[in-house]
Formats: sequence, structure tokens, C-alpha cells
Amino acid sequence: MRKEGDIYVVHRLLDEQICDSDGRRVGRVDDLELRGDPPRITALLVGEGLYPRRLPRALARLARRITGPERWGANAMRIPFEEVDDLGSTVKLRKKAEDLGLGMGDDPGRWIVGRLPWN
Amino acid sequence: MKTILKIALGIIAAIGGFLDIGDLVFTTQAGALFRYDLLWAVVLGVVGIAIYAEMTGRVAAVSGRPVFDVIRMRLGFGLGLGALIASTIVNLLTVAAELGGIAIVLELLFDAPYDMFVVTAAIALVVIVALLPFGGIERVFGYGGLLMLVVIATVVHQGPEWGDVARGFVPSLSSSTLYLYFVVGVFSAALMPYEAHFYSSGAIEEGWTEKNLKENRLNAFIGYALGGLLSIGLVIASGFLFHPLGVEPSDLGTVALPMQGAFGETGLLLALGGMLFCVSGAAIDSSFAASYNVAQFLGWEWGRYKGPRKAPRFTASWLVFVLLGVAIAQSGINPVEITEYSVVLAVVALPLTYLPVLLIAGDRSFMGEFANGRLATFFGWLYFAVIVVLALAAIPLLLATNGGGG
Repeated sequence: MRKEGDIYVVHRLLDEQICDSDGRRVGRVDDLELRGDPPRITALLVGEGLYPRRLPRALARLARRITGPERWGANAMRIPFEEVDDLGSTVKLRKKAEDLGLGMGDDPGRWIVGRLPWN
Repeated sequence: MKTILKIALGIIAAIGGFLDIGDLVFTTQAGALFRYDLLWAVVLGVVGIAIYAEMTGRVAAVSGRPVFDVIRMRLGFGLGLGALIASTIVNLLTVAAELGGIAIVLELLFDAPYDMFVVTAAIALVVIVALLPFGGIERVFGYGGLLMLVVIATVVHQGPEWGDVARGFVPSLSSSTLYLYFVVGVFSAALMPYEAHFYSSGAIEEGWTEKNLKENRLNAFIGYALGGLLSIGLVIASGFLFHPLGVEPSDLGTVALPMQGAFGETGLLLALGGMLFCVSGAAIDSSFAASYNVAQFLGWEWGRYKGPRKAPRFTASWLVFVLLGVAIAQSGINPVEITEYSVVLAVVALPLTYLPVLLIAGDRSFMGEFANGRLATFFGWLYFAVIVVLALAAIPLLLATNGGGG
């Protein structure tokens, strides 16, 4: 799909799978940043700190206690829309996940299972 | 020629992999209690899983989206999370039920205590998953499950009144809540949601594209339909033997008795061996389904094809689900009871996971020329209506019949 022009943002972009330039799955579009008039998408927001604001109000407080308030860099990342390469069946980024601070949860060094001998 | 062989082998694995503990328990009980009267509900469920699996496989092959990818896209985070939690509870109960089932079959085969075998079974499954590639896992259990063909031979050997059998295929309702409970159970056992979660994620594990659509159709419509014959056979074999005696089967060993009745020790061993493969395969499928769902919903890297180094969170969550399954199976609750709850609750959770797949499969902006045609749209929505009705009826029936206890 084209990156320029009209897209149904909620239908096709919000909640979409994000892959880095190597094709690694590195998170989902948990929220969007819109700026300007008329509003344009300026960034994708990714991370568990954003989950509370996606929940019904009654659950949001509870969720905030679990995931913490959103803090850029720690539990939520802001990916400038310029870093998006292509909107196809996934959101494909121009760079590797590490360079954008994404995919750290799947860093094998952080997981004992990452050292398991099976492949 | 090579592709035909590959497709044929896939279909054979789908036949052998069809049955799981839910099918074994509900078909045998349905036969014992209502003889052939519930055969139509088995057919309804088998056609349902074929339609649902074909759609999920097609969506995965064309758009690269497995079930919980689709759910997150169509339901959004909040409602999607509800579907994830409901499905995870059901999948976890299913893992526990299948692990318990393996332990019961091993107990019958080797005459040693149940508790020991739950842990042994879980360790064996982890080792098998570690050693074999994805395709190998599916094939081993699919081919082994073909031992259950002894059920068909048993029915032929019993030689029931075929006219009576045929009448069972005509849908009939009765005011008995127990009968209605079994309509829900038999239907749901055939249409367990983990099967679709696993099937669609498997399509991506195996790198399916539009070129595999024919294989997908044949697997779903021929593989599952022939696999469904085993369920039908179990109802008839049980109805023939147990219904006249008024026996109400309450343990898994009863499932194998008609085969023993027909072919003695050999029949018994074939049936128990087939059950072992079926239930073990289903334990792997349901535990994989649980972790596929979580990983896909949250956008983690996932898949057996990635291995634990590239997909550590997926692998870790799988091990956690296996461990939790062991804990539930060891808790002292009868695995047959866990099975009944997993099957009946599965249909309650089904509408929220079925609807997004139906919507995406019909959406040309995702599926292009491979979107649902008129026929698929009609049957897709018809089954959605059936699922919603059964989902609404399931909990009241579960309570009214005291969990099928009458």
C-alpha cells in the first residue's frame, strides 16, 4: 500500500504489526501521534506503557498500576513517521530495531531461553 | 508429482491429527447416552471447523496474518484483549486436559500411577518440540493418529442397523437439557478454537503464500472432513456397544472398549496408541496456540521456525503454558471434567475470535481477489449465527445439567 495519500488510519494502521528492516517483528502500532492542521501522522507510538490509554476508562487505572504511566524511552517509544519505509501487510521500518530502541523485549541476552540449545 | 505427494501427506496428517481429548470424551458419551441421535451435531461441527480453518489458512497465506493478528487489527486493543484473555483461559484448560489425557492413556498402557505420567508427558513433549522442526512435529502426531482408523473397522465389524445410523444425521432437537448440552459439546469439540489458531499460525510457520491455497482448501475440506469420520465412528461404536447396556462412560479408558470388543487385545492397543498420538499432538497444538496468540497480539517475534534465540519471549511463554497445564492436570481435578469445561467454554469464547477472521476474509482491501465469494460469505455468516446461538446457550446448559452430570 502507498505511504502517501489517503489511508484509513484506524482501519489499516492502528494496531498493525511493525517489522524492522531485517523483517524482525518488533511490536505493534499501539497509538499514533497526529500533528498540524489538517492533522498528519507524525509518529507511531509503541510500547506497553501505552496499553492503559487503549482500555476502557474503568480498566485504565488498574492497567496504569500494572504497566506504569507512559514514559518515552522506558516503556513507550516514539517512531517518527519518516522512519516508516512501507505500509504493506506490516508496517516496515527503514532501520534496524536496535537503532530505534525497539525489540528489546526479544533481546536473547535478557532471556535464559535465548540460550537454549535448540534452534 | 512431488507437490501432489506433499499435499496428500498433508491431508493424511490432517486426518490423523483431527481428534483430540474433547472429541474422544464427548463422542463416546454422546453415543452411550443418545445412541446415534447426535451424529448430525458432529457433522455440523466438522463442517464448521472446515469452513473456519479454510478461512484462517487463506487469510494467513494471502495477507500473512494469523488469527490473533487479525483480532488485534479488527477488534482493537481493548476488545481484542478480552478475546485474548478468554481464548487463553480456554487454551490453557485444553492443554491441561490433553496432558491429563496422555497420562491416563499411559496409565492404562503401562499400569503405573497417573501423577508420574503428567510430568513425564510434559518433558517428552518439550524434548520432541526441541528436536523436531515444525513440519516434523505435525507429521509425527498426524500419522500416529491414523491408528484411530481402527474405529472405522470396529463400526464395520459391529454392523449396526444402518437405517438407524442414517436417521442420526437428521437434525432433531429435544426438550431434554442434557441432550441440548451434548449438542453444544459435540459441536464445540469439533470446532475448538485452538485448532484454527494453530492452523493459521502453522501456515505462516511453513511459509505459505497464494500458491498454497489449493493445499489449504484440500487440507480443510478433505482432511478435516475425513478426520470427522473418526468422530462419527466413535459415536456409532459407542452407541452400538454402550447404549443398549445403559453404561455411562466417565473415564477415558471407556473410549477404547468398543475396539477391544471388536478385535480383542489388538483393537485395544491400536485404539490406545491412536489416542496417545491424537492427544499428544493436541497438547502441542493447544500449547502452541496459547503462545502464538499472546505473541501475535502484543507484536512479539514468534514461531517455532524462529527458534528460542530469535523469539525468546514466545518460547518462554510456551514453556510457561506447558508448566501451568501440568499444574492444572496435577491438581487432582479429573481430566475428563477439565475436558468438559474446556470444550463448553470454548464455544463461549469462539464468536469473538471467529468474527474478525470472517470480516478480514471478506475484505478486498486485505484479500484482493482471494476475498470470500458469495458462497463462502453465506456459509461464513450462517456459521457465525450458529456459533452465537450455541455460545449463548452453553453456560445455562452447563449449569442446568450440572456439567453434563444430568
